[in-house]
Amino acid sequence: MNMTPERFAQLVEIHGSRPERWPADERMAAEAFRHANHQAQALGDEYARLESLLDALPVPAMQGLEQRVLRRAASLTRDSLLDRALDWLVPHSDRLLAWIWRPALVACLPLICGIYMANFFSFGITGQELAWEEELSLLALNDYAEIAE
Amino acid sequence: MTDDEGLMLAIQAGDAKAYEAAIRKHLKSISHFAFRMLGNSKDTEDITQETFLRLWTHADSWQSDKASVSTWLHRITHNLCIDYLRKDKSSISSEYEDEHEGSDRPADAPEKTQQLEALRQALEGLPERQRTAIVLSHYQGFSNREVALIMDISVDALESILARARRSLKAQLKQ
Repeated sequence: MNMTPERFAQLVEIHGSRPERWPADERMAAEAFRHANHQAQALGDEYARLESLLDALPVPAMQGLEQRVLRRAASLTRDSLLDRALDWLVPHSDRLLAWIWRPALVACLPLICGIYMANFFSFGITGQELAWEEELSLLALNDYAEIAE
Repeated sequence: MTDDEGLMLAIQAGDAKAYEAAIRKHLKSISHFAFRMLGNSKDTEDITQETFLRLWTHADSWQSDKASVSTWLHRITHNLCIDYLRKDKSSISSEYEDEHEGSDRPADAPEKTQQLEALRQALEGLPERQRTAIVLSHYQGFSNREVALIMDISVDALESILARARRSLKAQLKQ
């Protein structure tokens, strides 16, 4: 590809003065042109000086930025108390499974607690203790008895 | 699969450790980009925090076939910076100067200091798109295709913007 002064100027304006940034198919021609042409050399040097000044513009160190970003990230990813309790009860498998099982487990917890507490405390009801099966059987019979009456 | 892709897939699955690793890997690049766009560390920190917040909350929207993780994060930062600059243009920079003067770097020769100051002002005075293009191309080292993707413009449009930006900076340094 033939290199012209206009195309060389375009190359350095678009890609800068470093040949490694120039398009591969034009690099050799552009480098040869730069070495052979004084104006191209001068233009390349001007942009090289601009780039070295750009490189010299520092970004100040931002003390503690990493810690602050990581701290916020940790607060974002940290599970709530309920999540941690559920993690203990139902260890993570995958997200989809957790989405299905966790609400189901949460819904069942009051029922489990209620059955346990009812079995454990008498709540002032005294009398002969009945076995679970007997209680359930009596309740069922009672319902039928009401209908029969 | 690249390291970044692996990290992103883990983040998408809710892996906090992968999220932390991604932050450590991209923090410097993102914060430097934001600083060069905004010129002060307070806003830089806000934008950096918001970028990494979105890395967690919007991880599902990253697609490996469309952009690298770095390009995607820079695009988020770019959009946040543009929103910020359009809302509050008056607060660009100023702190840059203070921090630069207060830094521990060895003092430059007076002539170079003058040139650096002129360049800093020239950079800040560039239209927003020209400054973005120079920062992403020169400082962040992205290819023109990647810069165009981040800025959501065509490569031809980007090349025109870059040429104008470089011409403008060179002309202002000559003055």
